[in-house]
Amino acid sequence: MNKTTILTAAATLAMAMTGSTVLAQTPSWCGPNEASLALLDGFGGNSWRLVTTASGAEEAAKCPSITQYEYADGQGDTQKAISDINSMAARGINAMVVFGDAGPAVLPALTNAHRAGTIVVPYRVNVGGEEGVNYAKFIGSSFFEDGVSWGNWIKEILPEGGNLLFLSGPAGNSQGIDELAGMKSVLDDKYVFINPEPFAVTNWDPSLTQQVLSAEIAKNDKIDVIVSDFGPSLVGALPVFAEFGRSIPALATSDGNSLSCFWEQNKDANPDFKLFTVATGNDNVRLAVQWAVALATGGTPPTDAIFKAPVYENSVTGSPNPVTCRADLPGSIYLSAEMADDAQAKAVGE
Amino acid sequence: MAQYQQTAGQTDMAFDLRSMRPARGFVTVVISTLALLAVCAIFAPSAVSAGGLAGSLPFAAIIAIVGLGQMLVVQQGGFDLSLAGGVSLAVVITTHMSGGDDAQLFTSIAFALGCAVIAGLANGILVGVLRLNAIVATIGMNALLYGAVFAISGGVPRITTPLMAQIAGGKTLGIPHSVLFAIAIMLLVSFVLKKTVAGRRFEAIGANPAAAHAAGLKVRLYQAMAYVFAQLHYCVAGILISGITREPTAFQGDSLLLPSVAVVVLAGTSLLGGRGFPISTVIAAFFLNQLSQFALAVGVPFSAQTIIQALALVFGIGVYSLRWKQAATKRALKSKTEETDNE
Repeated sequence: MNKTTILTAAATLAMAMTGSTVLAQTPSWCGPNEASLALLDGFGGNSWRLVTTASGAEEAAKCPSITQYEYADGQGDTQKAISDINSMAARGINAMVVFGDAGPAVLPALTNAHRAGTIVVPYRVNVGGEEGVNYAKFIGSSFFEDGVSWGNWIKEILPEGGNLLFLSGPAGNSQGIDELAGMKSVLDDKYVFINPEPFAVTNWDPSLTQQVLSAEIAKNDKIDVIVSDFGPSLVGALPVFAEFGRSIPALATSDGNSLSCFWEQNKDANPDFKLFTVATGNDNVRLAVQWAVALATGGTPPTDAIFKAPVYENSVTGSPNPVTCRADLPGSIYLSAEMADDAQAKAVGE
Repeated sequence: MAQYQQTAGQTDMAFDLRSMRPARGFVTVVISTLALLAVCAIFAPSAVSAGGLAGSLPFAAIIAIVGLGQMLVVQQGGFDLSLAGGVSLAVVITTHMSGGDDAQLFTSIAFALGCAVIAGLANGILVGVLRLNAIVATIGMNALLYGAVFAISGGVPRITTPLMAQIAGGKTLGIPHSVLFAIAIMLLVSFVLKKTVAGRRFEAIGANPAAAHAAGLKVRLYQAMAYVFAQLHYCVAGILISGITREPTAFQGDSLLLPSVAVVVLAGTSLLGGRGFPISTVIAAFFLNQLSQFALAVGVPFSAQTIIQALALVFGIGVYSLRWKQAATKRALKSKTEETDNE
C-alpha cells in the first residue's frame, strides 16, 4: 500500500518536472531510444533519501526518451528490497538504478535482472560482483575522499594533534571504513581516535547518536574534533556538551540545513565550535541515473564513474562557502545538493 | 495456579512493605542493579557520573514507560507487538501535526492520545472479546499503525517544537523531566493496580481468568482494557521521545519492542499472566539502560556490546526459569503455602 503511494507520488513528481523543466537541449547522455527507468531504494525513510529520490526523478525527467519512471522503497527490509528488484525486472523495466543498502545480499537479484537484459546500475553502496557480469555499471562514491578532506581540515585547525571521535552508521558499514582509511591516510599518530575501532556505531539514528555521544563525553575529558558522516543526526546530541559545562568541539561532517542553523545559534556560546562539511552527496544519484539512461537509450555515458563529494562549508576560512543557514526552509534539506532549495522542501513534505 | 488464587484474596495487604517479604523479582532486579552500579563505578566511572546519567536517564525513562504498558498486557497473558507502531505514531503525530509550532502542540498531543485509544480498543476487542491470538492481532495492528505513520510522515523525520523539547527534555532540580514522568506513571500504575478495586480485579483476572469469570468479574472487558492502557503508555513514551530527540525518525518505536518485553520479564512478571510489578519494571528499565551505557563507557566493540546485553537478558530470564523449576517440586509438596510477594 505504501509502495503504491510512493510510486504515485514519484510518478506525479516526475511528470510535474517534465512539464516544468525547460528542456533547452537534451543532455548528451540522453539517447534516442525510448526506455523505462526504475529507482530502487533499500531504505527510503529519511530526508536525505527523499531529497535523493527527488533528485533522481528530476535528473531522469531531463531525458524525454524516458517514458516511464518508477520508484520502490525497500523500507530497510532486505527481503523487500530483493523482491522489488525482481518485480521491476519481471515488469520489463529497461533500466534500474539501485541503492543496494543490503550490500552483497541484493547481488543475486541484480545479477538475475542483468542476465534478463535489464540495465542495472547499483550506486553508492558496494554490492560486490563485477561490472558486465553481475550488473552494467557501478557508480561508487568516494568516501575515501571525504575522509581525506576531513583529515586535511583537522590538520589545519589542530596542527599539534589531538583527540578525535569518529561516529558512523551501522556496525561494519563500508562507508565508515573507507572514510576512516581516508582520514588515516593524512593524519599521523599525533591524532588519536578515542572511539572503539573502527568507529562508534550510531546506526545514523538520532536517539542512539545521543546516547553514544553522551557516553563518550562522560568518558573523555578532552575531545578536540568530532567526525561524523551524517551531520544532521548530531543536532539532537550536541547540546549534551552543555550538561557537562563544556564547549561543543570542532565538527567535521556532511552538510544539512538543520546543522548549519544549529551552528549559527550556538557558535557564540561555544568558542571551540568550528564546522567543516563536505556535500552530503545527494547528487550521487544523478550520475547513476545518467549512466543508466545513457546505456538504456543509446546516449553517451558521462566520463565520471565515481562521485566525488565536494567540500561545502568551512566556518574557519569561509571557503568554498561560509556556513549557510536558511532558517526559512526546513531543517531536513541539503543546501549542497543541486536540486533547488524550494523543490527540496517540497520533496521532504514541508 | 493455587498461589494465584490466593494472591487475589490477599490483595488488601499489598503495598505494606514492612509486613511482607519483598517479591523475588524485586530483590533480584535491585541486587543486579546495585551490582551493575558497583561494577560501573569501578570499571567505567563515567557511566555513573552526573553528566553521563543525565544523558542516559531520559532513555531509561522511555523504556520504563513502554515497559509498564507492556506489563499490563503481559499480566493478562498477552503480548503487544503493536508497541513499535504505537510509539512511532505518537512521535510522528506530535512532530508533524504541530509542524514545529508550539500553539499546535497540545492539539497534536490530544490527537495522538485519541489515536492510541482507538488502536488500543481495536486490539482489545480483537484479543479480549473476539479471542484472537494476541500476537497475531497486535502484529496486524502494528502494520496498520505503521500505515498511519507513513500516511502522516511519509517516513520523514521532523524537528520537535521548542515547547515540547522544553517539556520532555528539560530539567527540574537537575532531574530530567522524562524521569519525573516515568516515576509519576509508575506511581499511578502501582496505585491503581494495588490499591483500587478495579486494579485488584485486573490482577485477579490475569492470574486466573476462569476463576475470575466464575466469580462474576467482567473478564473480557478487563482484558480488552489492558490493551487500551498499554497503547496510552506507548503514546506517552512517543510524545516524550519527540521532545527528547530533536529530530526523531519515523521508526523510533522499533528499537523499543524487545527492551519492553525484557524489562517486564526481568521484573518477574509471569509471561502466563498474573501479578504485575511496576516498581521492579522501572528498576529493570534503569538496569537495562545502564548496562548499555556501561558497555559504551568501557568502549568495547559494538559486537561485544550487543552480546553483553543479550547475555544479561538470558541471565535475567534464566534466573526466573531456574527458580520455577527448583521451586516446582517444593511447591508441589506444600502447595497451600502462600507466595507473599508484594510490590
